[in-house]
Amino acid sequence: MIQTGISKLDGYLKGGIPYGKSLIYYTSPGVEGNVFGMHTLYHNLSAGKKCVFVASSSNPQAIRDVFREFGWDLNDFSERLFIVDAYSSLVGSISKEKYVVVDPENIDSISNMLRKVMEELDESVIIIFESLSTVMDLCGEKETLAAIENWNKYGMVYDNVLIYNFTAWPYQRDTLEAIKHELFDAVITVGGIAERVIFGQYFGVLNANWSDIPPKSMLFRVLRPGGIRIFIPKILVTGPFDAGKSTFVHALSTRAVSVDRVGTTVALDHGHLDYKGFSADIFGTPGQERFDPIIKMLSGEAMGIFLVVDSTVPKDFVRAKHMLDITKAQGLPLVVVANKQDLSNALKPEEIRVHFNIPANVPIVPAVAAKGEGVFEAFDTLIEKITEVA
Amino acid sequence: MSGYSLGIKELDDRIGEIREGTNIMMIGPPMSGKDEIINSIIYNGLKNEESAVVVSTRDPGERIFDWFSQHSLDIEDSHIGIVDCVTKTLGMGAVDTDKIKRASSPVDLTGIGVKISQFFDEFLMKKNIQEMRLCINSLSTILMYSNIQTVFRFLHVFTGRVKAANALGIYVVEDEMHDPQTIATLKQLFDGMIEIKSSDDDFLLRVVGLTPKPTPWFDYEIDGVNFTMKECE
Repeated sequence: MIQTGISKLDGYLKGGIPYGKSLIYYTSPGVEGNVFGMHTLYHNLSAGKKCVFVASSSNPQAIRDVFREFGWDLNDFSERLFIVDAYSSLVGSISKEKYVVVDPENIDSISNMLRKVMEELDESVIIIFESLSTVMDLCGEKETLAAIENWNKYGMVYDNVLIYNFTAWPYQRDTLEAIKHELFDAVITVGGIAERVIFGQYFGVLNANWSDIPPKSMLFRVLRPGGIRIFIPKILVTGPFDAGKSTFVHALSTRAVSVDRVGTTVALDHGHLDYKGFSADIFGTPGQERFDPIIKMLSGEAMGIFLVVDSTVPKDFVRAKHMLDITKAQGLPLVVVANKQDLSNALKPEEIRVHFNIPANVPIVPAVAAKGEGVFEAFDTLIEKITEVA
Repeated sequence: MSGYSLGIKELDDRIGEIREGTNIMMIGPPMSGKDEIINSIIYNGLKNEESAVVVSTRDPGERIFDWFSQHSLDIEDSHIGIVDCVTKTLGMGAVDTDKIKRASSPVDLTGIGVKISQFFDEFLMKKNIQEMRLCINSLSTILMYSNIQTVFRFLHVFTGRVKAANALGIYVVEDEMHDPQTIATLKQLFDGMIEIKSSDDDFLLRVVGLTPKPTPWFDYEIDGVNFTMKECE
């Protein structure tokens, strides 16, 4: 078994990737999924393993430069790293690599070179594709899908591990379905957290046939130098005084603590939640106006916002809107929690939408935080918005 | 938030404000001043405190800054981000800077897309600049290395991102370099066109698709970001 070098992912994969298996990083456009393959390559070179990198959209020198940005010098491993150059011929430049694909627009030319590499190396190696999508763009969807089956079979015969970086451009639906569910032993999805733009990234295990792995997702950042790093997000809970924010934070959290005085939050509520494979830190703000400067401090780098309102006090909705402005969180995923729905004079969510003039794309979730009702539905809704790719 | 303008008075007067999320193709023959026009459109945005993300497939990123310097145009450096698809292709080992991120090659659409997204995030979320322009100069270079289906998929994603970000997208295409089918395929993705054609010894320019009727053709001369426009009969 080899490791990906991304500790949380190796944990999800029950230790890593067994020899003879294939894995694909299935990445949304605009997200840095290609770094996963690079991270895995460097980790295994450092661990003394022999690796092959199939370059399809960059010349080999540019690839070495990109690795160097992460603090990874491939020259240290020239005895154990083999680059299959499937790029230079495309742009008419001369390659210095031992393995050169003569016609990168012909899938047979790539297949023949891969088979040659596997035969010549004749031992377990890790083969990483810089960009399967570029191969597919150049050689055709059907042709590439057929070739992948053969590559993976060769990989199994030679006890190799094959790892593919793939950008999920809007290919034909059948192609994407085959890639996600049929061709590979494991699929790791790499996506973006988006509202108007992608401002965060996550990965998750879609499937892995060597183990029963529950769906898990994790936010990450790419550091230069450093590579992939797990990222724990901040979720902000704000709203007017006595709307039930602290109750909401405590009801939602696996563990929580509040800085309060006589039952009123004077600094913050903080909770940590592990739920459905997401690990999140929840920060609750005070509601009284005299603590407004704290809201601004707490809202920095929040990934999403719960705006908790007391459904029985419509006069506070103006204050709620003002608090939202203070967070300076324009563009962040937002869910309104219509709390205290068990009280007789509570406005229904759609009545709140009208009173509060809430846009149709902002969900309003009914809740009774004191009884724990609606809080996880609200969390699911916010996570769905946070992990949505534009 | 209000709409966008091109910064070319005669055209802006005719088309009014360009609504957020609009994608425009600029198509014209070689040597017709498309680089100057796109640079002046970028400058107009920067002047209005917008941000600009420029994907350069023909010139290294530094050249774009040089163009502004040569024309004595004072721009806010922190509002512009360039995705340079040239330097690494030439084997020059330049590293990324705050203002210039370098893709491996024009083939590397994945890398280009990542770098566009990073600049979008930086300008809109981190710097809170709500108006933004994306300029790709040019699609024709990308089409030299990738087929039309590949480029269509790439543009399908990023014209969508421009809409989602309420930005303005402008994409340069060389006329006479592609077959009519390719141009027809690309047109499906855009809301309008800045069209340039040659006429005798001059070039004429008009805007199509942003108003119910195309603007008239204008004979034009460019000096830096200054346009002299003359409406044709």
